Amino acid sequence: MSEPMRDEELAATLVDIGERLFYPPATRLATAVRARLREPRPRRVPWRAPALVPAFATLALLLLVVAIASPGLRSAAREFLHLRGIDIFPVPSAPSAPSAPTVAPSPSVVIPGERTTLEDARRRVSFTVRQPTVPELTSPDYVVLDAAGGVERLTLVYGDRAGFAASQLPGVAALFVEFRGAVDATFFGKAAGPGTTLEEVTVNGGRGFWLAGAPHLFFYRDPSGAIQQETLRLAGNTLIWEQGGVTLRIEAAVTKEQALRIAASVR
Amino acid sequence: METDSVEGRPTEDAELVERSRQGDADAYAELVTRYQGMAARTAYVICGSDADAEEAAQEGFVKAFYALDRFRAGAPFRPWLLRIVANEAINRRKSAGRRATVELSVAGDRPSADTAPSPEGAALASERRTLVLDALKRMREEDRLVIAYRYFFDLSEGEMADALSVARGTVKSRLSRALARLRALIAEAPTDE
Repeated sequence: MSEPMRDEELAATLVDIGERLFYPPATRLATAVRARLREPRPRRVPWRAPALVPAFATLALLLLVVAIASPGLRSAAREFLHLRGIDIFPVPSAPSAPSAPTVAPSPSVVIPGERTTLEDARRRVSFTVRQPTVPELTSPDYVVLDAAGGVERLTLVYGDRAGFAASQLPGVAALFVEFRGAVDATFFGKAAGPGTTLEEVTVNGGRGFWLAGAPHLFFYRDPSGAIQQETLRLAGNTLIWEQGGVTLRIEAAVTKEQALRIAASVR
Repeated sequence: METDSVEGRPTEDAELVERSRQGDADAYAELVTRYQGMAARTAYVICGSDADAEEAAQEGFVKAFYALDRFRAGAPFRPWLLRIVANEAINRRKSAGRRATVELSVAGDRPSADTAPSPEGAALASERRTLVLDALKRMREEDRLVIAYRYFFDLSEGEMADALSVARGTVKSRLSRALARLRALIAEAPTDE
């Protein structure tokens, strides 16, 4: 590069790098740390469940090691630990790098998961499935359910229709996405890179965020409490909010008022 | 924040810290869960490798647990924890020898019609990322950490001061010194390609 970057260019580049770094997934830490806290803290009250917990923690660690070593056993180990109601979190299968295929995308490529119907999805997910009820979005053209890796993410896909400008995904006017998770204000700011505006809004009595100017990712807290990164698919304007323990979002080329009206119609 | 998850309202950090201090491992596991992402990211920025970052973060959490008696009640937990994790990561990196490669890597060029409206803009942004990332890898860990707190994790000045154990007024000068060194490293980038 011939000339030095201006301060704001350097700052924007740093923010950009921060958003793209392949951070380690870190979901194993709680388990590993817990397993190492067997010695009681000095001069304090000992464990609440003295005998069982340390033994179980060791077992959990062993299982986890086995699980990591052998992919086939992963889900079994996860099941087992989960059944016991212990705070063991799924072993991540791979770092979730935001590297969606992008040349001439078709919906089936860009939205990971299995194409299905709303009825089928309602039976299969553990949360209450909601949907917009405004006239222009009465029924989705189809639904994509991603249930891989212990995450349940449901995407309602609305094809081209009147009242919506074309999006980056050919043939898709709007997406309505729902999954278990909490919007975390601490990490939210990162989504607002250069060219994105972020505004806190109240949606249906809960906290929400309006991202305009094509953000490309945001962060949320998954049910285990870990911070996860989520890629936005349409790169249009986005409204994200929490409702009943589920994070909902609308992605479409709409104004804030339109998005809020759609959100208010969600049942 | 509204939530009707099974756990109900999220418990305050201060309460979890107090319970952990009493030896409640469940409470501490909750704190770990809450901050493991941030801790691992911080360690990763310093160590530059997944495996080292995970070990450093884990070690940091364990040390923090046994150091809870030294934690000032009512203080924010996150910067205090980050301080321990970052120290752990820096010590590890130094004892491994500075020569060990920092492998920080970034996601490739996704279409960024949003931030870079033209192909030229995208190419320029990509070139800048490469240049700056390369310089970041060659920086002192302490400098990289200051930059990460500010630009990657968007920590407030107060939180940065706590996490770096410096006075609030010192944060700005630390940051500007780190940026100046970063610029110097960018300028001396090899041009023999």
